Amino acid sequence: MAINPASPTPSMFRKKPSSAMSTAASYLSAVSKADARARGLNGGSTTSTPALSLSSSVTSSSEDTVLHEDIGDSADGLYYPSVPPTSEQVFTTVHTEFGHCANESYRYTSRHTPGEPVKGVVEQDPPYYILITTYVSYLLVICIGHLRDFIGKRFKPSAFRHLMTQDGYAALNSDFDSFYTRRLKSRIDDCFSHPVTGVPGRTILLLDRYSTDHNVTFQPTGTRTRGLNISSYNYLGFAQGDGPCADAVEESVARYGVSACSTRREVGTLDLHLQAEALVARFMGMESALISSMGFATNSTIIPALVSKGCLVISDEFNHASIRYGALESLLREVISQGQPKTHRPWKKILIIVEGLYSMEGTLVNLPALLELKKKYKFYLFVDEAHSVGAMGPHGRGVADYFDVNPRSIDILMGTFTKSFGAAGGYIAGNKALIERLRISSHYSAYTEAMAPPVLTQVMASMASIMGVTIIPETKNSSSLSLLHSSNAIPVPVTNLEATAYPGTAPSTALPNWVSLPPSLCDGSDGRMRLRRLAFNSRYLNRALRKLGFITYGHDDSPVVPLLVFHPGKMAVFSRMMRTRAIPIVIVVVAYPATPLVTSRVRFCLSASHTKEDIDLVLKACDEIGELLDLKQAVGERWPLEEITKRAVELVSMKECP
Amino acid sequence: MSATTSSLEPLFTILSYSYATLETNFYKLPGSSVVARYVKSSHQNDPGRTLLEVFLIIFAIRTLLQSRTRADNSGKHFISFDEKEIDELVDEWTPEPLAAELSPKEQAELASIPVIVGPTGPKPKLSNGKTVLNLASYNFTGLAGNEDIKQSGVETLRKYGLGSCGPPGFYGNQDVHIQLEKDIADFLGTESAILYSQAFSTISSVIPAFCKRGDLIVADRGVNFSIQKGLQISRCTVRWYDHNDLNSLEQVLEAIEKERQKKRSPLTRRFIVTEGIFDHDGAMSDLPKLIELKLKFKYRLILDESISFGSVGRTGRGLTELYNVPADQVDMLVGSVANGLASAGGFCAGTNIVVNHQRINGTSFVFSAAMPALLTVAASEGISILRNTPSILSTLQENIRAVRVILDRVDCISIPSHPASATIHLHVKLPSPMHLSPRVPPPSPSLSSSSSGKPSNPLSPTPREAPQFDAELEEKLLQDVVEEALAQGVLITRAKRLRGQELNDIRPSIRLAISAALNKKDCEKAANVVKAAFVKIVGRQRR
Repeated sequence: MAINPASPTPSMFRKKPSSAMSTAASYLSAVSKADARARGLNGGSTTSTPALSLSSSVTSSSEDTVLHEDIGDSADGLYYPSVPPTSEQVFTTVHTEFGHCANESYRYTSRHTPGEPVKGVVEQDPPYYILITTYVSYLLVICIGHLRDFIGKRFKPSAFRHLMTQDGYAALNSDFDSFYTRRLKSRIDDCFSHPVTGVPGRTILLLDRYSTDHNVTFQPTGTRTRGLNISSYNYLGFAQGDGPCADAVEESVARYGVSACSTRREVGTLDLHLQAEALVARFMGMESALISSMGFATNSTIIPALVSKGCLVISDEFNHASIRYGALESLLREVISQGQPKTHRPWKKILIIVEGLYSMEGTLVNLPALLELKKKYKFYLFVDEAHSVGAMGPHGRGVADYFDVNPRSIDILMGTFTKSFGAAGGYIAGNKALIERLRISSHYSAYTEAMAPPVLTQVMASMASIMGVTIIPETKNSSSLSLLHSSNAIPVPVTNLEATAYPGTAPSTALPNWVSLPPSLCDGSDGRMRLRRLAFNSRYLNRALRKLGFITYGHDDSPVVPLLVFHPGKMAVFSRMMRTRAIPIVIVVVAYPATPLVTSRVRFCLSASHTKEDIDLVLKACDEIGELLDLKQAVGERWPLEEITKRAVELVSMKECP
Repeated sequence: MSATTSSLEPLFTILSYSYATLETNFYKLPGSSVVARYVKSSHQNDPGRTLLEVFLIIFAIRTLLQSRTRADNSGKHFISFDEKEIDELVDEWTPEPLAAELSPKEQAELASIPVIVGPTGPKPKLSNGKTVLNLASYNFTGLAGNEDIKQSGVETLRKYGLGSCGPPGFYGNQDVHIQLEKDIADFLGTESAILYSQAFSTISSVIPAFCKRGDLIVADRGVNFSIQKGLQISRCTVRWYDHNDLNSLEQVLEAIEKERQKKRSPLTRRFIVTEGIFDHDGAMSDLPKLIELKLKFKYRLILDESISFGSVGRTGRGLTELYNVPADQVDMLVGSVANGLASAGGFCAGTNIVVNHQRINGTSFVFSAAMPALLTVAASEGISILRNTPSILSTLQENIRAVRVILDRVDCISIPSHPASATIHLHVKLPSPMHLSPRVPPPSPSLSSSSSGKPSNPLSPTPREAPQFDAELEEKLLQDVVEEALAQGVLITRAKRLRGQELNDIRPSIRLAISAALNKKDCEKAANVVKAAFVKIVGRQRR
């Protein structure tokens, strides 16, 4: 690894020269005006020299920090920050991908206060009329759906042919099985599977479409709309087409191509895999780790290797509830004392599977309580950190970091790279015996394709920038080779104790020597900034929505914020109204079967790339739409919107938010 | 007699009095007359009826009161303990370790996995510093390391970033994915296609999307692990036919049809599931015959072309191109983008109805994040390269022939693979007296069932005459061959499988994957090294 203070390394591919835009020019002039203003306020003389030298770097970097494409209306704050930066503020990111925010007070640290009991979710019930009308509205669409089916089958049989037995073939999908999809979901299909393009960062480009046949097919209009993106899993904002991570990926494509062309156990193991796995293990604070090429399949391909006949797996979608009520403990007492059904033989082992952060509820697992139980009942604990890794904890290491418990007290840590690292795939971290067992007997290693080199590089670069890098002088033999034969004991010359401690930094020898990272990444300041911005944004939106009177689920620090809308119809309207605002906001709506029937919800996924102004924008939109749709049903103290945006920092740093 | 009657007199009066008070009180209750009328009418001077009703009421109350979740709690198998006993049992209980320690053999296996330093390709560099000829990676058409693909990959990276950051339903559906789906559909000649982000998870998600409990699948006994998982998840009825034996398939289909007519069971969805070129041994399906059978018996065909897509046919379109069968004759054509186009992911091509159904019901499509844009564009670029340069596929076939010419006539190797298959499986052939289990199945699969009179049981995945082999010994020999070849500068690999988790024991093999990126001379050289290694190792075993 080399430390490169200057701009990205020259590589074999040249970037396309960016054509200067008139809008870019107006942005630059705004910058220089702000510069002048700032200098005028400061009296000019004292800071003039550094300001001058910095302002040149602002100018040079700003060309990179605005988007190189046709921009329509630039006044909406999506393309340029609404407040132009001053000369002291140097941004290296593109504002549309990663928002510019220099205000250090808009930061927070995601951390559990020790000693404080882990609060269960306070689930608020809406007034009865909301529940009743929700059921009625489902009933109504179901009745209308059946009526349409009844009439349609008689008057327009051709449209139902594929649902009926024909030519001796049973229907691929019977009309009964597909009823929900055809008659309920298709009404609001315009809210799902929207095609997009570009970086799914702070903003996203929607490819506009319309339907002339009630959402059966969609036609593209050919136009694009840029919207504020509160929908993508991009917690730390690593979805970027520019910046040091993308530079590293570019270099890896040049060196490695795009594929490993085999499975891990055959000939698909590259040196990059070993390096990435060692880094993941270090990041998680575990002995060893393995990487699989698809996050979704990680669980299903490894669990069969761990449990066999006579083993008990306890997994419960309402884990958070059962732990709260002690139901888990009584269940454990029962299964251990009773043994296996009929034979009463003791269970070979008991594996409890929990999620760190529940993606639909935004609730956190009560890890300290679980570990207490684990001590007594000796079960194995599997924590699925698909959403929490990177997003929770002061060092971004997930729920263990958040609760400040030793990660090694958890047996298996699983997570994905899709959400916080801007990559793809998943990992399993655990002790050495476990990981080696999985390498030999899990489906993933024998049958699935190895992870692609560019994805591995993205994982390593983003992970290193969260951890920070400790520079260790290169030893005689190249670091990339020294890793190869011993993934267990990496011969890293430990010059700095900090490099081995958890949660510590990554030694520079853990990265390939061709990865060059700028100083802001190496000292960890970039990673810290991302973590702290995400924590602020999550807490702010969560609490602000509650203060506005909305019913939300989940933990205050959760970057997933579900806002309950109950009615399926309101859900679609909410999504459409957000998308068609003057400044479009892109959000995800979820309903049955992903949630219980009555609790349709909007799910906000926050990101470190959002600025406080972006959250204000979302709050304003929610306030207006919520008023219109009668969504403000929560009891408790309410603040007006202006007060919330003004007192944001106070709101976030409050100990309790009633 | 009268004395007893008189002594019981007060008792009768008390009884009749209390009955009368009960009756008056009962009629005072609101709605009681309705109940009384109901009881009267249902009684109808028949005590049996009343008894039945009473039983029904008791049963209903019992059912209502019974806990629905933990039925075994009150069952006869439940032993009740007091809290102290439970505490003792909890203290006593010692679980097995989470993961069993590796045996020395497994450790050796783990240590033997080669590590490639730098890019993979026809001549990769290994961690021991040696540059080797690669006959193991799935790089059939030599797309790995292609400069055009790299170039477009980098351009995509700058425009899209790396990850798609969401499942396709929630704004992860980028225009590049739509483009690749269109490219694949156009390339194959189907109406539509759907892209999954991992090849292994593709067919194991496609099968359960269509086949539900009660549906019928007729599958080949030699299907790959991913299909086996799909069949398992779908929980539908599975019938098996002998590996790559279409006569056996026809027999099974006929038997099923006869049974159905006899039972007059309702028509359910019926599928034939098989592979184009089998992952386990490289044998090739006779597609025209398959299509004929499927049309005759009105089944839908799910064909896994994970190996054949991108390796056979004039431009690599797979089996449909090789046999000149229109791709729309195959109902669900599943392929691997990872193997065929040296990128990542898999696809399923078919009609719009088939594809759109999966967009909602294909679990690994719905729940997994969409593939990174960079890899998607690399695959699109790969398709356009294949379209425009048919010479790649003819080079590949020449290379395959060159290798086969050398290996076909080695007497210690038997090859079950089709001559055109780019994956060549090599089995050890030991002479009968030495071999622990002498009966080696004939290499040509079409002969395998005709040797015995009785057909195998279609209900069981294992054939009647399962091939006999000593897996341990053969694995060891093959691993020695792999290491010997590696020492001579040729990278090959055993086909790695999870023995014990597969449906049938599969005969251990070395799997060569031929690439068009090597020239003919290198292929011949590599094949000769493999031959020499086999002769040396198996020869040593004979002595």
